[in-house]
Amino acid sequence: MKKVMYLEFERCIGCRSCQAACRECGGHDAKERNYVEYIDFFESRQTFPMMCMQCKDPACARVCPANAIQITEEGVVLSAMEEKCIGCRNCTFGCPFGIPKFDFEENKMYKCDMCYDRTKHDIAPMCASVCPSDAIRFIDHEEMMELRRKRTQMNLIEGKKPSENDKWQYVPEFFGVYSD
Amino acid sequence: MTEFIVKPGVKNIQNKGEKLITTHCCYCGMQCGMHIRVNEKSGKVVGVEPRYDWPVTLGKMCPKGVTAYQTVDHEERIKTPLIKKNGKFVESTWEEALDLIEKNFKRLQNDHGKDALSVYGGVSMTNEKCYLVGKYARVALGTRFVDYNGRFCMSSAAGGFMKTLGTDRGSTLPWTELEHTDCFFISGWNAAECHPTSIQWLWKARDKGAKMIVVDPRETQIARIADVHLDIKSGTDSALANGMLHIIVRDGYVDEAYVNERCNNYEEMKELVKKFTPEYTSQITGVSVEKLEKAARIYGQSPRSVVMFCRGIEQQSKGVDNVSVYTSMALLRGQIGKFASGVATVTGQGNGQGGREHGQKADALPGYRKIADPEHVKYVAGVWGIKPEEMPKAGVSAYEMFDEIQEGNIRAMHVMCSNPAVSAPNTQYVWDSFRKLDFLVVSDFFMSETAEFADVVLPATTWAEDEGTTTNLEGRVIRIRKVKDPIGESKTDWEIMKLIAERMGKGEFFPYENVPEIFDEFRLASKGGKADYYGITYDRIDKEDGVFWPCPSEDHPGTPTMFIDEFGTPDGKANLAAVDWQEAAEIPDFEYPHTLTTGRVVFHYLSGTQTRRVKFLMEQCPEPYVEMHPELSSRYNIQNGDNVLLTTRRGSMTVKARLTKAIRADHVFIPYHWGKELSVNQLTNPALDPTSRMPEFKVCAVNLKKVN
Repeated sequence: MKKVMYLEFERCIGCRSCQAACRECGGHDAKERNYVEYIDFFESRQTFPMMCMQCKDPACARVCPANAIQITEEGVVLSAMEEKCIGCRNCTFGCPFGIPKFDFEENKMYKCDMCYDRTKHDIAPMCASVCPSDAIRFIDHEEMMELRRKRTQMNLIEGKKPSENDKWQYVPEFFGVYSD
Repeated sequence: MTEFIVKPGVKNIQNKGEKLITTHCCYCGMQCGMHIRVNEKSGKVVGVEPRYDWPVTLGKMCPKGVTAYQTVDHEERIKTPLIKKNGKFVESTWEEALDLIEKNFKRLQNDHGKDALSVYGGVSMTNEKCYLVGKYARVALGTRFVDYNGRFCMSSAAGGFMKTLGTDRGSTLPWTELEHTDCFFISGWNAAECHPTSIQWLWKARDKGAKMIVVDPRETQIARIADVHLDIKSGTDSALANGMLHIIVRDGYVDEAYVNERCNNYEEMKELVKKFTPEYTSQITGVSVEKLEKAARIYGQSPRSVVMFCRGIEQQSKGVDNVSVYTSMALLRGQIGKFASGVATVTGQGNGQGGREHGQKADALPGYRKIADPEHVKYVAGVWGIKPEEMPKAGVSAYEMFDEIQEGNIRAMHVMCSNPAVSAPNTQYVWDSFRKLDFLVVSDFFMSETAEFADVVLPATTWAEDEGTTTNLEGRVIRIRKVKDPIGESKTDWEIMKLIAERMGKGEFFPYENVPEIFDEFRLASKGGKADYYGITYDRIDKEDGVFWPCPSEDHPGTPTMFIDEFGTPDGKANLAAVDWQEAAEIPDFEYPHTLTTGRVVFHYLSGTQTRRVKFLMEQCPEPYVEMHPELSSRYNIQNGDNVLLTTRRGSMTVKARLTKAIRADHVFIPYHWGKELSVNQLTNPALDPTSRMPEFKVCAVNLKKVN
């Protein structure tokens, strides 16, 4: 897998297609593993997708006492292995982004595995495939670096700031997530 | 002249034991391309897979699209005909149900004449079925009363386009060109929630520097990043558009050569818009002079621009006027018939475009022909094999059919693919009308609110259980493929119409064995009309990623861009609109001091019959709410989540408050996808547009009260 997940928050339209699509992914048992939040609905309709960052040194894996959270050679941080997971929920507390969730019925943790059965064949994860606004993209590393370089020229951000209500103060910067 | 066709050659996942069937989504007019995953052994639909090679949506889907397949084998599907006995539905056989329908239809026609029956169609069906609805009503039942739910959706756009451009095709350009546009003037279109997969084109254009002007009383997802957000008072759209025309004329942004050569009525229009100075326009619309000036300047200076609008301006009692004036903005700038520019209305229903062209309308025949024109009647009667004098006269519009029921003229109704008990305005009146009917037949695949009033419910199929064509919002005719066999004893709408036609002794006019036979007849019936589908074949659709109508012959390439040389009017010239602004039918007063407007949320489709049964979608948005500005709520001491009683002259309902600064402080908003006591259409105003007969869903006066 040479591609990376690339998020651009201000493109997000809050439709939650990514969540619906995540449920469709093989083995996800109709549970979504990514989330969409309003930044502040009271002020603006700006939303943002909250995805697993597939950290290089993932806190969830680091705090797992059973060593149940595996990282693939491509850098994808997987859900806890069923046979190893002891259900202590350390990972849910350890992750700074709140990504791992705990299934109390099945007594196991589940988290975004970047649709590993798709991405290992270079097919975009379900969330990035369907995202109607391109807020979530699965692109080449070079393309991501190019987009980052162009950041100051990008129309969605620079030079287009509406003057009313200072809406843009609610918009966080976008970032790319490395997987290699 | 699509500049590029995207075929990235991306692989799709295909699991063992499954096949992928290529089709399109069943919901809105975007008609997103998708593959449906089917288990080869059981034949059951198991999931969905993006279709990356469909040029309009490139694999994108909204949450409705992703979960659409879940309705196909849903446990609540109606699997056998149901007959109401002593107020309760009991399962029956097709024979029994058809016997009952035949007996009642014949009895009522004997006692009260042919027009005692009526047909109420819908445009979530394929072109073939929509075409057949008109024929079924006029030939099988012989009634003049036929109309459809598109009356609540597209008819004002159709009326406005007919007036100005002479032909009603929702979009004058293919959407794959949108990313090359320099300026979007968007009015009354909540793109992010109603047509999410269109957003990628807007955002792509924004990346290249396109400007965006959004007219909406709410700060929608697209308004929040617009260059100018014109936060208009609902119901003042034609004033705003006239104000735009005023500045465009005043500052010399008019494409004089284009207007002189291709448009009528310029002098009259100039005269009329003289009084719509920015100050006067600002007083009416509530939008500041500075914003108006800025918006007109941006629009006027853009070399390639698109004016886009949707139900926000159309679902008004002056909807046709609104559409005409906004369309005139594009004409004045010489934008129609050019690359990456033009005017577009966006269809809310899957086949909102095709469904309105082929004779489901009270006054229309296939191919946009008119019942009022004897030549048109003669042609269609010829195709159908009836005598022209046997063709019933024009009927009345959808909402007016309920008046006819109240007056006792309509005694029975067959509702297909529609749920007027939720989607019509002033629903309490509609419910009362249904109770007054002698006999009501509903074909549907779920028990809808309308079906609950029925005497007979016939199990229809979903989109995945039949094949046919639809026309997406661009005017591109595409193919819906059969994914699986119908569930239980359900039958497709065309089979149901055929069976009833046979019972009514008109079987010879409905000899179809399969859908391609209907398609061939329907192509012939549209031949020579404005919406000419004659040259479109299933093979061509597959090979060319859809074919744009008009396409009069098989060697014609189709028409992606409309009006390149001439308009659809008799003299080939467009008519600029000179229409003055008129007040909405109901404006706030002392008793009802605020404005109520309605619309969609991204998680639900129309009356919610399908989407309210999908778990994921219901989890996201289980009930309606009233959106209001904190400034307004504070006057009533309403907190976020409090129950609010809203009352209009037609009814009242209680919903929870949702506070946000992203709406005008004098407006409240409620989504409309729920039935019965949660139906906001209990409150909406049935005032009709004089031309299109479209009700005024978007504006009415309301008062608020906090309740515990």
